[in-house]
Amino acid sequence: MSMEKILDKARLNDWIAALAKGGDWEVHAPALEDGVWTYKPVGDAVRMDHPNTKQPPKGFSFPQREVFFSFEQIKGEAPRLTQVMPDPKRRAVFGVRPCDGRGAVRMDRVFADNVNDPYYQARRKNVAYVGLACNTPPAATCFCKSVGGSPVSTDGLDILLTDLGDRYHVAAVTETGKAMMAVAGSPLADAAAADRKQVKQVHGEAVAQPQRAVNNPEAAPAKLKASFNSPLWEELARACIGCGICTFLCPTCHCFDLNDEMTGTVPIKGNRVRTWDNCQFPDFTMHSSGHNPRENTAARLRQRVCHKFQYFHENFGMLQCTGCGRCVSECPVGIDIVAVVNKVAEHVA
Amino acid sequence: MINIQDIRDTARDLLAKGEVRAVIGWRAGSRGMPAEPVVITAPEQADELVWDPTCYHNLALHLVEDRKFLAHARKTAGAPIGIIAKGCDARAIVVLMQENYFKREDVYIIGVSCEGSGMIAEWKVARQLDGAVPTAAAFAGDEFAFATAAGEKRLPAREVMADRCLECRNPFPKEHNVALGEDKTGRALEAPFAALARFETRSEGERWEFWQRQFDRCIRCFACRSVCPMCYCEECVVDSINIAVAPETTAEEKANRIRWIERSAVKSENITYHMTRAIHLAGRCVDCGECERVCPVNIPLRLLNNKMEREARERFGYEPGASIGGPSLVASFRDDDPGAFIR
Amino acid sequence: MSEQQPYEPKIVAFLCKWCSSAGSDLAGVSRIQYPANATPITVPCSGSMSPMYILSAFNKGADGVLVSGCHIGDCHYMEGNFLARRKLHLVKELLQFIGVEENRFRMSWVSAAEGAKYAQVVKDFVEDLRPLGSQEKLKAQRT
Repeated sequence: MSMEKILDKARLNDWIAALAKGGDWEVHAPALEDGVWTYKPVGDAVRMDHPNTKQPPKGFSFPQREVFFSFEQIKGEAPRLTQVMPDPKRRAVFGVRPCDGRGAVRMDRVFADNVNDPYYQARRKNVAYVGLACNTPPAATCFCKSVGGSPVSTDGLDILLTDLGDRYHVAAVTETGKAMMAVAGSPLADAAAADRKQVKQVHGEAVAQPQRAVNNPEAAPAKLKASFNSPLWEELARACIGCGICTFLCPTCHCFDLNDEMTGTVPIKGNRVRTWDNCQFPDFTMHSSGHNPRENTAARLRQRVCHKFQYFHENFGMLQCTGCGRCVSECPVGIDIVAVVNKVAEHVA
Repeated sequence: MINIQDIRDTARDLLAKGEVRAVIGWRAGSRGMPAEPVVITAPEQADELVWDPTCYHNLALHLVEDRKFLAHARKTAGAPIGIIAKGCDARAIVVLMQENYFKREDVYIIGVSCEGSGMIAEWKVARQLDGAVPTAAAFAGDEFAFATAAGEKRLPAREVMADRCLECRNPFPKEHNVALGEDKTGRALEAPFAALARFETRSEGERWEFWQRQFDRCIRCFACRSVCPMCYCEECVVDSINIAVAPETTAEEKANRIRWIERSAVKSENITYHMTRAIHLAGRCVDCGECERVCPVNIPLRLLNNKMEREARERFGYEPGASIGGPSLVASFRDDDPGAFIR
Repeated sequence: MSEQQPYEPKIVAFLCKWCSSAGSDLAGVSRIQYPANATPITVPCSGSMSPMYILSAFNKGADGVLVSGCHIGDCHYMEGNFLARRKLHLVKELLQFIGVEENRFRMSWVSAAEGAKYAQVVKDFVEDLRPLGSQEKLKAQRT
């Protein structure tokens, strides 16, 4: 049975306090710092009037840098390895937009379904996403609807909040979500029939808002596959400057690099570290021989677009892109993944 | 005021006569208001070109890209490449030529003057328009005209111009083959280095507090580096492969390469990166402000570059992008350079 | 009382091989007493200093960095120290700009004959660094 409650906006902080106290949750929410919306541990007051955060909440389960183990080699002895597991703190992330919830679903497919990534999983099982439905007009760069999402989607979320003016409608999506809503000292009240009706209406209106669209997304994987050798990629990537904004801000990009960072030389000591990597950087595919199979921006742009709209679909049966629009709004030269997919599809008969 | 038709006609003529093999310019973007860089190669494409207050990209970068493309493809250039250049773009081109990155005759500069205004800062526009989403922007004298769903909205240029443009003294591209628009060299709507001067009133502790917060936020997407026409090095100290790899390079050399800066996006490594970049840009940065504009986490990078620029000007009488001949800042000296700090 | 050592600043000293490096040798063979806090690294010329060396030394935990070259006019390569003076002025300004203490970075001209001066430079530097404590601002974060 689903669980629906109502929360007086003035009591949002009480609920968060209850979660921290009764549920041992460390609560994070979007905060505007130096002009950037970022998830921060909650201080005194929570604002939930953010458009979307600059970075998706992906870092809660897949931080940009994490230590796997430390090592030490004392002369004449066997090397010592010490695994470093993430701290087991439970984190509740408030204000996650539905596109980012759907991003979490895709990250789980990569790190939890086919392979067992202990570091990712150790973090993921302790993170709860409290989503916030988008019921204001979408940003000019939003396109979640055309990639199978919706401004009120619950995929990947534990709870979905909907702004009803002076109060939030609170709907549980998972068991974790239910437990959070029932936490001791929770100020949530039962939803009345009128609230349910209003939510339905708000959601209906949100879904009806016009957005830009990837045309015929079902056909995109096949069209992209047929376009692999198209000269169009060169033209589309002509303005690309090869920075990493599009991928580092993406809720579903998950490529990483491993490096040993030294902390001492006598004896040899250091940490093995995982950091995000980025397919838009020239050295991403650089071979030791000096050969680079993706040697220009055209090949690298094609990789990013095809991964989102073709390869991931082939591997997991879903588009990887969730339509959050970050790569579009933040691209320094206006490369627009929606326009790229549409142009390629048009081009391929 | 520049008539866009003049820009298009110039580009069309040059392409039709075969005087240039391509023209780098701006066209309308697909995601809304901002223009985007474009390289056109046929006369009929000239009508795509636009000139509006969102043409903020420093197109000199695309000259570098073109040069790199030709080098990798082992092609020779043939005809020169045309480029539409604002004052700052033209200064960047001058620095590139000063460094022999390409020759004067390789480039045909179609100069465009920003005259009394400049480029917008999107965040300032968003603040002023209070939620209305502009789909296009146009110069309108001392104002900018924005097309929105609720009709045209006009805002005073000074309210929404980028800081770099407010402080700009050279909105006219001095180096050019043909120039459009009025020469307003010397104008500055705000005092040069105004933001820098404000910042420098802070104490040492406050400065550190400020910068460590900024650098802590850096995600090392390297957009500042990628967007900079001066960051043309084939290998960069921060790349995971930062040595030139040739067939004879041994595995040991590759494995034992010096790692000046670790890949981790942590404060210490981020600082080392940004400091290295600032030093490397000293005497070369023309203050186009692109690094600051593109930074997704709003790090005020112009402050660092402005600091170096002002040192160069005040201590060494050096102005980047002023002339093609002559040595660069750090490859030259004067007998009376300051040295009192040396024991 | 515990065996706690008093804080000793770690200095990385980049010394020109034609002058300051010999100057430091002279200080040694002349039996001049001076603090043992500086680790010398010989460089071909003060003009060959990359700002990267300085940043890297701080990154690896140096409390202070010293660059020492030939007096103006005495450069083995004619103008290396002129170039160093200009370049390292910029580094010094930039370090102070982001809030690193002025006394963390120092430059000196020490000739091969100035053993006593080298000893004094190191002595002064150590004294100036001592009140600042260990340098944490630019030090690598590895945990």
